[in-house]
Amino acid sequence: MPRSSEAVHDLFVLSAAAVFALSAAAPASPQSEADRVAGLKLYEGKILPILERECFKCHSADGKVKGGLRLDSEADILGGGSSGPALIPGKPSESLIIRALHYKDPDIEMPPSKPLPASVVKDFEEWVRLGAPMPSAAGEMMGDAMVPMGMAPAVGEVVTVADAPNIRTDGYVDWGKARAHWSYKPVLLYPVPAADSKGWCWGEIDRFLLDDMTKAGLRPVADADKTSWLRRVTFDLTGLPPTIEEQDGFARDRTPAAFEKVVDRLLASDAFGERWGRHWLDVARYAESSGKETNIAYPFAWRYRDYVIDSFNADKPFDEFLSEQLAGDLLPAATPQERAENLIATGFLAIGSKGHNTRGRAQFTADVIDEQIDAMGQSMLGLTIACARCHDHKFDPIPQSDYYRVAGIFLSTKTLYGTSPSPGNNFPADLAALPRGTVPVGAPVGAAQLQIGERARQELENRITRLEEEAQKNGTQVDRGQIRNFRQAITALDEVTARYDENGAPNDANYVCMAVEEGAGRNAPVLQRGEVEKPGETVVRGFPQLFEGDWVPTIERGSGRLELAEWVTSHENPLTARVAVNRIWGHMFGKGIVPTPDNFGMSGLPPSHPELLDYLAARFVELEWSTKAMIREVALSHAYRLSSKTDAKGMREDPDADHYWRMPQRRLEGEAIRDAMLVASGTLMDAPPPGSQVQSFEGPVRDGGRADLLLDDSVPIRSIYLPILRDKVPEMLDVFDFCDPALPCGNRTETTVATQALYLMNDPSAVAVAADFASRLEKSGLKDNDKIDLAFRLALGREPTSTEKAASRKFFDAFASAEQRSGFANNPLRNRAWTAFCQSLFMTAEFRTLD
Amino acid sequence: MDCCNNRVTVHNRRDMLKSLSAGFGYIAFASLAAQAAAASGPRSILAPQDTSNPLAPRSGHFSGKAKRVIFLCMDGGPSHVDTFDYKPKLQADTGKELSSGFRRGAKLLGSPWTFRKSGKSGLYISDLFSETAKHADEMCLLRGMHTTVPAHAQAQLQMHTGSFQFVRPSLGAWSLYGLGTVNENLPGFVTVNPSRSAQTYGSAFLPAYYQGSPMRMSGGGNRQAQGRRQRPSTQGDAVPNLTNTSYGVEGQREQLDLVQILNSEREKRLKGDDQVEGIIESYELAFRMQSEVPGLVDISGENQRTLEMYGIGSQPTDGFGRQCLLARRLAETGVRFVEVTVGGWDHHRNLKAELENKCQSIDQPIAALLTDLKQRGMLKDTLVLWGGEFGRTPYAQGNDGRDHNNKGFAMWAAGGGIKGGLSYGSTDDYGLEAVDGKMHIHDWHATILHLLGLDHERLTYNYAGRDFRLTDVHGIVAKDIVA
Repeated sequence: MPRSSEAVHDLFVLSAAAVFALSAAAPASPQSEADRVAGLKLYEGKILPILERECFKCHSADGKVKGGLRLDSEADILGGGSSGPALIPGKPSESLIIRALHYKDPDIEMPPSKPLPASVVKDFEEWVRLGAPMPSAAGEMMGDAMVPMGMAPAVGEVVTVADAPNIRTDGYVDWGKARAHWSYKPVLLYPVPAADSKGWCWGEIDRFLLDDMTKAGLRPVADADKTSWLRRVTFDLTGLPPTIEEQDGFARDRTPAAFEKVVDRLLASDAFGERWGRHWLDVARYAESSGKETNIAYPFAWRYRDYVIDSFNADKPFDEFLSEQLAGDLLPAATPQERAENLIATGFLAIGSKGHNTRGRAQFTADVIDEQIDAMGQSMLGLTIACARCHDHKFDPIPQSDYYRVAGIFLSTKTLYGTSPSPGNNFPADLAALPRGTVPVGAPVGAAQLQIGERARQELENRITRLEEEAQKNGTQVDRGQIRNFRQAITALDEVTARYDENGAPNDANYVCMAVEEGAGRNAPVLQRGEVEKPGETVVRGFPQLFEGDWVPTIERGSGRLELAEWVTSHENPLTARVAVNRIWGHMFGKGIVPTPDNFGMSGLPPSHPELLDYLAARFVELEWSTKAMIREVALSHAYRLSSKTDAKGMREDPDADHYWRMPQRRLEGEAIRDAMLVASGTLMDAPPPGSQVQSFEGPVRDGGRADLLLDDSVPIRSIYLPILRDKVPEMLDVFDFCDPALPCGNRTETTVATQALYLMNDPSAVAVAADFASRLEKSGLKDNDKIDLAFRLALGREPTSTEKAASRKFFDAFASAEQRSGFANNPLRNRAWTAFCQSLFMTAEFRTLD
Repeated sequence: MDCCNNRVTVHNRRDMLKSLSAGFGYIAFASLAAQAAAASGPRSILAPQDTSNPLAPRSGHFSGKAKRVIFLCMDGGPSHVDTFDYKPKLQADTGKELSSGFRRGAKLLGSPWTFRKSGKSGLYISDLFSETAKHADEMCLLRGMHTTVPAHAQAQLQMHTGSFQFVRPSLGAWSLYGLGTVNENLPGFVTVNPSRSAQTYGSAFLPAYYQGSPMRMSGGGNRQAQGRRQRPSTQGDAVPNLTNTSYGVEGQREQLDLVQILNSEREKRLKGDDQVEGIIESYELAFRMQSEVPGLVDISGENQRTLEMYGIGSQPTDGFGRQCLLARRLAETGVRFVEVTVGGWDHHRNLKAELENKCQSIDQPIAALLTDLKQRGMLKDTLVLWGGEFGRTPYAQGNDGRDHNNKGFAMWAAGGGIKGGLSYGSTDDYGLEAVDGKMHIHDWHATILHLLGLDHERLTYNYAGRDFRLTDVHGIVAKDIVA
């Protein structure tokens, strides 16, 4: 019974007036926040697309507004058309729109052409039942119903980003609206609030913070005592605890410059790069193997790690640091050393996780490019560009075609990640050659290890011979697959062996690194749904259209990586400096001004202190992107000096210290905990180890294989130098929330779980470090009483309280008799009671917490 | 001073600490309360909503029959046409060549094993699973399975995480995230002898406490039976670092007591430091696990009949028998998601001998597990899943082997709200492709979550600006198999 849609439409308008004459005045039932959130989610996912497709043509501001009805905002829907409101929130059965969708009443049938599927009608009913919520005007809802990354929502609660402002009309980005998002707007110079009369403010940072605090009705707590501040700043800047000499020196120095001297000393120490380099390695998803299915080793990834550490120690301007990582191979170099450094920097693009056993070169390439875009976008720009691989970005103004504009840059780039062919590796690649003598050659291996390799090689040769002989004897076909596998294993062994002389010293074959180089410049096709089999229209290489202006470069020739580096590091790019200073802030205060450090997009969280963030971003550029200078200003602020002690009013009104009225407590990272244990025991090696233990690997990293023997976390080197194989992170770091190095990670989760306790209680390495600590105390020659004091100072940077001292002293008797009772008194571990005592200090909450 | 008066027992010590710190033990209290509630009736297991403890048991989106999952993961791709997908036409046409399609000319290989009607429902199950077949009326055969990729590693990843490309949380982690767990003495997601990448039990962007804890149990014959990230253990710990070889338990308790005194001193000093409480609790759980886990792993307390039923002590069933028994013990003590992996299903050659051996080693233990769960009244709310990452081709590779087949294969499910005695979905006449009642791995995930009372479209986690789901944008619940 086809009928003209116009006729239906008129009927709709007329009869609806009668139906709603009465009910229009009924108040909408109040809906719970959970319903609203669920409803918004439904709106975003299911309702809006249908409205856009089926309804807006006639019922929206941009449409014809038939029957006086607009369906494009909450107010318009409730206000209704000439027939009254289109729906009653919470009451689907009384809602006109639902009746119309049901197509049961010939007078009211919508959409006019044909009924929508029953499932769609159900969605509409559910949405109305939930109160028919719609996002309000752009930006208004930001942050409201959102839960920060890494926080577990209560279950049943739907975490939604449906409240992100709608920046699309009919599927097209409304660039005006989109660019109004705070982080896409230029960095602004806000007026710095006036300093207070009492002199609390020491600089601009404090003036912004105090102004905000005062407006919130809060007051800063007192300063931290010198001991706490020293421990805080030493860990924050170097990842290590202060030594006893440093503790004493600082306590004695009563000059006003004492604090500055400490900060400058720490910034100048090599440990600074080892600390802040590790922060960058987290977002650079650094690892020494491919992860994914076959986990192929990357024996030269460590060069990138050392490059990062050196760059932070040299205080390389951060914009240069980023440029080198994107396009170091294309940058001019004055010396062979600089050339080497630039090449190694591009390892950033090569170290990502890869599925080496992927079927099909096209798929593999597309996945590598996606990984590169994701790493670059999140780490440098706080932008989840990679979300637009298969479709337009759901929240940010990044059309799918923009993704492929960037993808073209990496499609025109050759990624040199090395590896040799093996059963799990369909895509081996080259490494880049480094000028000889420019860089260290890396770690030696024991001669014994070389012999093991030689024996393994012999065994493989023997097996091949046996297979061939058997086949000949039986007159059967030889198993070619098997033989190929053996030959590949031999090649891999040969590659490793070729890196060393007969004594196991690394030779010139080690002048290689993971890197990228220019390929043929070409544009990428937009892949429909991201499927490599479905290439569509080709798009010109370029950048997301997000930013306009003269500063946005165009790619004339080559891959465009130079232009990409220029685009990323332009001081006009509103994201880069903001993202960088936010990371620095986050590492100093435990959380960023933007709590989602890898996502500054519309689904990220907004800054708690936008003016301060912009001040810092502008200041960072003014300081010529000097990370050390920026950190110095933060470390010497009054806010950073505050105690972590609580006060009642503050805890009541701002328990998370979002207004920085106190210093929040922070859990130390696994690296810092482990390194501090080694420092207390006096065994931490001063010099960094050369290269990496992974350097002598080639091929898949297998559980139970040679990897397990070599990857030993009991070696007393700083944790940053421990081998980081994907899916095989050293246990100590793993249990203390090391990020999964498959993904960029700007803030680590802080969990407190039993496996951490079990590690510190029972792991042989943990006990061994405690035993070293006990020996150190023994060697001091002090009396037991003083040894306890020394232990506290070494482990916790302070003297014990009287209660702690008493409990410690009692422990020794209690432990001894307990060991008697359980028949453990004859255990051969020397110094057992003192070992257990030292270990208990490692186990305390205080040891792993920064006040 | 009298040493023994000075000794602090666990309970006294707790009281002492409580007096030192009023807030102490909240987490322990919350989970004890949950446990008490769980003990009082099956419905209330999911009742307490303790939002401060992310692992506290909680109700799903709706009431699901399954309270826990035991997933028997067959790593390597078991042949469906020789086990649970009866193909009389394939038997009849054995030796014939496929006349069309990609594999034109490939020789059909009828199953060398006999299929028999089993149970009242008369489901056809191969003699390879004659013991398991006795439970046919509890089982739902999923004969229309398919998955995206015919490569082991990717298909395994997809089976566990939904994605074969990206790092995503595993099925067990999602389940734990959705429902929490009821035993505070054990992790809520345990995977026994995992054989693939840690991603198969990882939590990816979900908080780390949702990830699976690997346990080792000898006898699986896996290529990589060792869990990741652990040194080869000389003590055979099921969980790393469960035992201390340097001190006795009482000495360690003294050590912990000192630690806890120092911790509560700190807590007193810094009022409102909630970190300390969590740390105090983590040591107590660790201490409890040290005593709970070995007992759990030690099956010597089971009676002889049970051990024999599982085939423990005889070959070739000993290894898998132990793993199945451990699975039951874990499930019984309140672990939410238990996975047991057995490898060795990649029968490109020697199908006749090796598939038979393989099945012999697991058939009796699986049957025993089902019997055991049923006897204990647990089958009704324990969802038992069996299957591999894909199936195998009905045509031969060589003359005694089968290649990978992702287009059609079979899995099965039992208990936990599953309709028993049902065959759901089917492949074509030869078993090459799923044609009817098709169930992609995404659909399988959606259905499992549904049985647990979780809506796969609403079980989301926001990461990097997106609400992620186990099923991404896919997944259809197979309502027909839900009792």
